[in-house]
Amino acid sequence: MLSIKDLHVHYGAIHAIKGVSLEVNDGEIVSLIGANGAGKTTILHTISGLVKATTGEITYNGVNLRTTAPNKIIDLGMAHVPEGRHVFSRMTVLENLRMGAFTLKNTEQYKQNLETVFKSFPRLKERAKQLAGTLSGGEQQMLATGRALMANPKILLMDEPSMGLSPILVKEIFRIIETLHEKGITILLVEQNAKVALSISTRAYVLETGSIAMSGNAQALLEDDRVRKAYLGV
Amino acid sequence: MDGLTLFIQQIINGLRVGSVYALIALGYTMVYGIIRLINFAHGDFIMVGAYALFFTVPVMIAAGMPPWLSVFAAILVCATTGVLVEKLAYSPVRAKGNKMTALITAIAMALFLENLAQTLFGANPKQVKTIFDLPQVFGVSGNTVLTIILGVVVMIALSLYVKYTKTGQAMRAVSEDKDASLLMGINVNRTITITFAIGSGLAAIASLMYVAQYNQVTNMMGSMLGLKAFVAAVLGGIGIIPGAMLGGLVIGIVESLSKAYIAPLTGGLITSAFSDAIVFSILIVVLLVKPAGILGKNTGEKV
Repeated sequence: MLSIKDLHVHYGAIHAIKGVSLEVNDGEIVSLIGANGAGKTTILHTISGLVKATTGEITYNGVNLRTTAPNKIIDLGMAHVPEGRHVFSRMTVLENLRMGAFTLKNTEQYKQNLETVFKSFPRLKERAKQLAGTLSGGEQQMLATGRALMANPKILLMDEPSMGLSPILVKEIFRIIETLHEKGITILLVEQNAKVALSISTRAYVLETGSIAMSGNAQALLEDDRVRKAYLGV
Repeated sequence: MDGLTLFIQQIINGLRVGSVYALIALGYTMVYGIIRLINFAHGDFIMVGAYALFFTVPVMIAAGMPPWLSVFAAILVCATTGVLVEKLAYSPVRAKGNKMTALITAIAMALFLENLAQTLFGANPKQVKTIFDLPQVFGVSGNTVLTIILGVVVMIALSLYVKYTKTGQAMRAVSEDKDASLLMGINVNRTITITFAIGSGLAAIASLMYVAQYNQVTNMMGSMLGLKAFVAAVLGGIGIIPGAMLGGLVIGIVESLSKAYIAPLTGGLITSAFSDAIVFSILIVVLLVKPAGILGKNTGEKV
């Protein structure tokens, strides 16, 4: 279980996260929705250790993530698919996937994971030798997701997977997220596309300027008037 | 001596010095390619390696072993120096400052090493005993041929290492995106340390071949060598491993030809003393015409 208690994060003088608490239980898809600049990405970065918290508690299965080095977080079974994909564009698709499995010592396991990823994303297999920078946005999102899966994560942090993608691709990516969830991977999803995110989630949190404004059952939030007005454009 | 013989002789002289520049430029480009820092102290690592050879070659000779085996001691000394400089100077600055502070720190480290060597060993040049006794190959000194061969071997080995090994791939990942590398579980600091150890270790090989060809060590030797190798790396395309090799040889040949021909060509107006100026003007021309270098792709990366 991932648990955040009273998290505060500052960027210099800017108080970006103001006392956020949230929980992600094993087997859930939890989405964190909110407008641009609400602090969604900051929360994910703080979980991964890329951004340092000012105060508060972040634990995953009892391990204090605030004192865990960012490159050790993956050993706990947590992988992060960053906003804007952040694939290694001057490296091939296969090299990117190999980097995803960087901490795997077992080559058999690596081969097995590679096969699983290629099965989920046949397009990546076709383009294995191609430089990641030459892929389309949708393919890069698949690569970033596949790369995270190479480490056998138990929980996946996904940051804006739908960003910049056509509606068809958004559907495709969310179908993939559901498949991953069915395979038993817990997912913390950050999305601006609140409607799609809520439709596949177990629970959700609504973030407004660094604080949790609402939270609860995803279906209930989808039907909530305030959420509908502010985030669903209805 | 007829004109053609003189010309060929100058090309050979150019290869002699150029092959050393190439070896140095390989280390420069390796470090730049991964952490985007122009390590201005790299030339002075050559000096550190040369002193290591100066002290260890007589030991080898006394022990009845081939003097070139000292290169392993020099590699150890250079790699240690490189890692220390990275850990004590560059790493803290990188964490706090920006690229410019790192660059200035590199210049400071160069001055520091030069002055430290002067304090420890004095400013007088020291003679190093003959390291290789190689026959000439088609009129080219054996040392020059060996330097070029070593350069090509190092170039290929480095390229393969960076392309295919897990650590080499991690180096490329770190050079592109530190945060994403961390998320993959790559230990970014350790990867950078390994980069410095390899880049600085390569400096020792350049020291060996420089000392083999010129038999001399001074505390300032790394300064000019480093600058010329830097120009070579930029000319070939900094960060590109084969570019360093190519740039080094071109710079050596340009330097040698300009020494021989600039005075007669300009009627004595520009003398051979200007050959360094000509070499450095190449840098200006490259930056104006093709900033990415001969083998570089134009990506708009600022040096």
